[in-house]
Amino acid sequence: MNVTDAHLYLNGIPHERFSALRAEPGIAWHPYGDPDDDKAGFWAVTRHADIKQVSKNPDVYSSALGHTNLWDLEADALEARRSLIDTDAPDHTRLRRLISNVFTPKNIRRWADLTRSVTGDVLDEFEKQGGGDWVDLVAAPLPIRVILAILGVPVEDADYLVELSNYLVEGTGDEQSLPADAFGNTTELRLLPFNSPASHAMFEYGARLAESRRNDPRDDMVTMLVQAEADGEKLSASEFRNLFHLLIFAGNETTRTALSHGALAFAAHPAELQRLGDDPALLDTATDEVLRWATPILHMRRTATTDTELADTSIAEGDKVVMWYASANRDDEVFDDPFRFDIGRGGGNQFSFGGGGPHFCLGAFLARLEISSLFGEMVNRGMGLQQHGDVVRSPSNFVHGVLSLGMEPVL
Amino acid sequence: MDKPAEPMRVTVDADKCIGSGMCEMLEEETFLIDEDTNISQVIGEAVLPAERAAIVIDRCPASAISIVDKD
Repeated sequence: MNVTDAHLYLNGIPHERFSALRAEPGIAWHPYGDPDDDKAGFWAVTRHADIKQVSKNPDVYSSALGHTNLWDLEADALEARRSLIDTDAPDHTRLRRLISNVFTPKNIRRWADLTRSVTGDVLDEFEKQGGGDWVDLVAAPLPIRVILAILGVPVEDADYLVELSNYLVEGTGDEQSLPADAFGNTTELRLLPFNSPASHAMFEYGARLAESRRNDPRDDMVTMLVQAEADGEKLSASEFRNLFHLLIFAGNETTRTALSHGALAFAAHPAELQRLGDDPALLDTATDEVLRWATPILHMRRTATTDTELADTSIAEGDKVVMWYASANRDDEVFDDPFRFDIGRGGGNQFSFGGGGPHFCLGAFLARLEISSLFGEMVNRGMGLQQHGDVVRSPSNFVHGVLSLGMEPVL
Repeated sequence: MDKPAEPMRVTVDADKCIGSGMCEMLEEETFLIDEDTNISQVIGEAVLPAERAAIVIDRCPASAISIVDKD
């Protein structure tokens, strides 16, 4: 039962395959990589409870070994690319604590007005044009404008960073259109995140911005990050550039995906949008349901640090263990009638920010703010959505991306 | 109807805490992220109804919150 063929995902998440995997006892071994090597593959963890166990036991299931994607990286590449995502305690704890304060629910609230204002702007434009590509008009510009404004990137540079970020998304699929020396890159591609020369350009940009904020502090996140200190330590230059890169990518791609799948869901289930309009107190659980529905990141990988057992299956030290969040979010052990879109569901146990544990999405509360801002403002305006044309999806088993999506406002 | 469960005293393991702010969001009268260390600490009596204690313990990404044993 293959779930890694990127082309499968052009038709959406292969839910019937994941349902079949969840129904099998134990954990399924999934071949991946060299077809002649019996050992090339990973354990496909598909049930909600099993994923939670992996995610919450970082001592047994490491993020720092091998890679957090399906394929291994060579040691020097892993080191050069290392960010919050591929570290374990105590490095991870130190790095995360340096910046965690910026992302707590309390501190994210200071960006609520900014987010509301960006939301208003993109919806005004969407209405004015009478609809069009939802990704271009709404889902992409909203989160990228918000994260760039929060970071302190000048408005005139926004298009450039969106372009770079889009090339990175391309790097998560099978094909890349950029030559290796694009943007003046001279670094070996395997040392760059997503093997993309666009990462080099983003590093360069981030370093310049950090330098300018060190000399001239402002009220923005880059200033907070260059000044961040915990236990007398600051971010190193390489930690800063990897983090800047992560924030732009995650701030652009993942929330865009959630806003696109949320729009698809509300267009397909207008009664749920009506329900939200009638009862705005549902906005919080509606946000959870959009997240559950979307699963913007389909999986993350861990590597076993020791021989262990999961769901009565023996796992050996060094084995790859892959948590398929996309599957957990449709597990009927946890979600009643999981293929029904129900904004009142609640429970707060969707896994779109990961399955719990220390790698819980750093930007979770910002993403929630953006999602609730958009769908909240739509119901304020009494705006519904009608899909026209097909949805074009990313050929990727990692991001649940939507490349284009025709939508019209229904007023 | 079930008898209301006994209140529980909770504590934070400062070595495990990653400062996500989840506890502060769920139970703002019991947890506070320290502005200098970015580590959560309990404030006041740190006593929660058992059901709410269970939720905040489960949701803490770092598994840093636990019940203080009575003895």
